[in-house]
Amino acid sequence: MAHNELILTDVTKRFGGLTAVDALSFKVESGQIYGIIGPNGAGKTTVFNCITGIYKSEEGSVLWRGEEIRGKTPYQIVDRGIVRTFQTIRLFGQMSVAENIMSGRHIKSTQRWWHGIIPTPGKKRDELENWQKVEEQLDFFKLSEFAATPVGSLPYGLQRRVEIARAMAVEPTLLILDEPAAGLNDKETLELLETIFKIRDKGVTVLLIEHDMDMVMEVTDYLTVINFGKKIAEGTPEEVQKNPAVIEAYLGSEDDDDE
Amino acid sequence: MKELQKFAYPVFFIVMAVLPHMLDDRWQAVAITFLIFAVVALSQDIILGKCGMFNMGQALFFGMGAYTTAILNNEYGWSIIATIPLAIIIPALFGILLAGPIVHLRGDYLLVVTIGFNIVFVQVLQNNLGGVTGGPNGIFGLDSLSFLGYDLMSQISVYYFAFIVLLLTLWVMHNLAGSKPGRAMHYLREDQLAAESIGINTRVYKIFSFGLGAGIAGLAGTVYATQYSAVSPEAFEFIQSVLFFSIVLVGGSSVPGVLIGVFVMFVLPEIFREFATWRYFIFGFAMIAAMIMRPRGIWPATFGKIPKFLIKDNNHGA
Ligand SMILES: Nc1ncnc2c1ncn2[C@@H]1O[C@H](COP(=O)(O)OP(=O)(O)OP(=O)(O)O)[C@@H](O)[C@H]1O
Ligand SMILES: [Mg+2]
Repeated sequence: MAHNELILTDVTKRFGGLTAVDALSFKVESGQIYGIIGPNGAGKTTVFNCITGIYKSEEGSVLWRGEEIRGKTPYQIVDRGIVRTFQTIRLFGQMSVAENIMSGRHIKSTQRWWHGIIPTPGKKRDELENWQKVEEQLDFFKLSEFAATPVGSLPYGLQRRVEIARAMAVEPTLLILDEPAAGLNDKETLELLETIFKIRDKGVTVLLIEHDMDMVMEVTDYLTVINFGKKIAEGTPEEVQKNPAVIEAYLGSEDDDDE
Repeated sequence: MKELQKFAYPVFFIVMAVLPHMLDDRWQAVAITFLIFAVVALSQDIILGKCGMFNMGQALFFGMGAYTTAILNNEYGWSIIATIPLAIIIPALFGILLAGPIVHLRGDYLLVVTIGFNIVFVQVLQNNLGGVTGGPNGIFGLDSLSFLGYDLMSQISVYYFAFIVLLLTLWVMHNLAGSKPGRAMHYLREDQLAAESIGINTRVYKIFSFGLGAGIAGLAGTVYATQYSAVSPEAFEFIQSVLFFSIVLVGGSSVPGVLIGVFVMFVLPEIFREFATWRYFIFGFAMIAAMIMRPRGIWPATFGKIPKFLIKDNNHGA
């Protein structure tokens, strides 16, 4: 039995003539904070899309806890304990922070379709239990005061936090974050680091993409560096930092890495 | 706004409850029409407003309910009340069957396909397929309402029948708003990819919205058949679907918005007879103006149905 391991083997994803991910393999172990880094357009987001079912890779395999999840739909993958956030924040903009987080309770809720028509005592209890879980996330992410605020009117940094809170409401085994620090100021980035450590302490494995080298060095246990869809290095942050191929790739694109 | 609604709802219900006793026959009929079309518009709101599915064929489900009642009463001698379960279930099943293969379509394609369904439906009625729909003349001479052996012939009985159906619809919509399926519909309307990525099988809830919306429209159809003791194809033409669609869009996906829309579309033309010929013209302009100035409708949907215990004192509330 493989325990909470994510193993990618020779995953390849093409868009027309472009090979966005090229025979990529890596392995995320239970309890790790695992980083994926690489220059703009390296294929990082595409890898995440292949893991979370938004794309189906043409070749290769994605094994999660020993099960092949390549080709499964996003909601089937969430059902198996993998939840993600997006590089370009995707919240339900007109809805309140609390409702956004409540969406993460969808798969935990025991309600069936007829509860949308006729209420039962069981439904009432289930609603209350899930809203209480939302309250826990609001507390954990220090968002309580914004519970009723429409999420679209919040500043960027808070929206990022809501998105992570929403993902955590699912009680995932593996949390996937696509550039969680993008657009955050220094103070917010520090808070984010703390949050990520706290999430890991809850027993959640974290897989993240990051542009910012300093942050990656600080937060990850292990990482894979990709460029043009191919792995160019892997190892601990110290090992990777010294790798000439990595230095080369990063020097070559240093100037265009802000967005 | 919330305070206003707290106050306005009881007033609305009380006024509606005593209304028929203050109206003459003609105005009672207008009031019944208002109630019936309000229910259809609300059922359309479930599909279009809550779930964001561009359905332009709601008159089909409305008509299917009306014809189910008419055929069962006329051909098989069922009492009107006894036809209700099937007048809900048949359109609901049809809604589910129709929605199954088309809900993945993008908004504009879905719109065209549902228009197509509506047109085919009316053609089927007119050509008397199966020999039970009565062709272009429809079916007439239905029994009046009767319940537990009492004959409820008066128009006032029909009014209360329609009123109960409206209350039932509002109750269902209230339950929906505070439930997992109801929220799932909101989420997928706002961002389908985000909804899928948080674990929602969006297809299931899209089909659910069609089934529920069709079932409620079907029930409204029963009331319609009762009011006129008759059904005929032209009442369920595609142009009616356009009206329900625009009412939800212009009114906004909210109960007050939809009721105002129905009032403007179906009651005002009765009050100002000369307005009747102008209504499409005026409504057309209202649509254009509303979409430019208030793209989310005159009385937009309010989210934020979250439990009180989550709202702290220092809240930056909505
Ligand atoms: N849906 C798509 N259709 C076509 N090409 C795509 C699509 N998505 C990504 N690509 C291309 O695939 C390559 C990898 O893109 P990807 O978004 O995975 O890069 P990334 O490493 O996440 O970059 P960034 O750091 O800018 O987020 C890019 O060349 C991109 O243009
Ligand atoms: Mg990316």
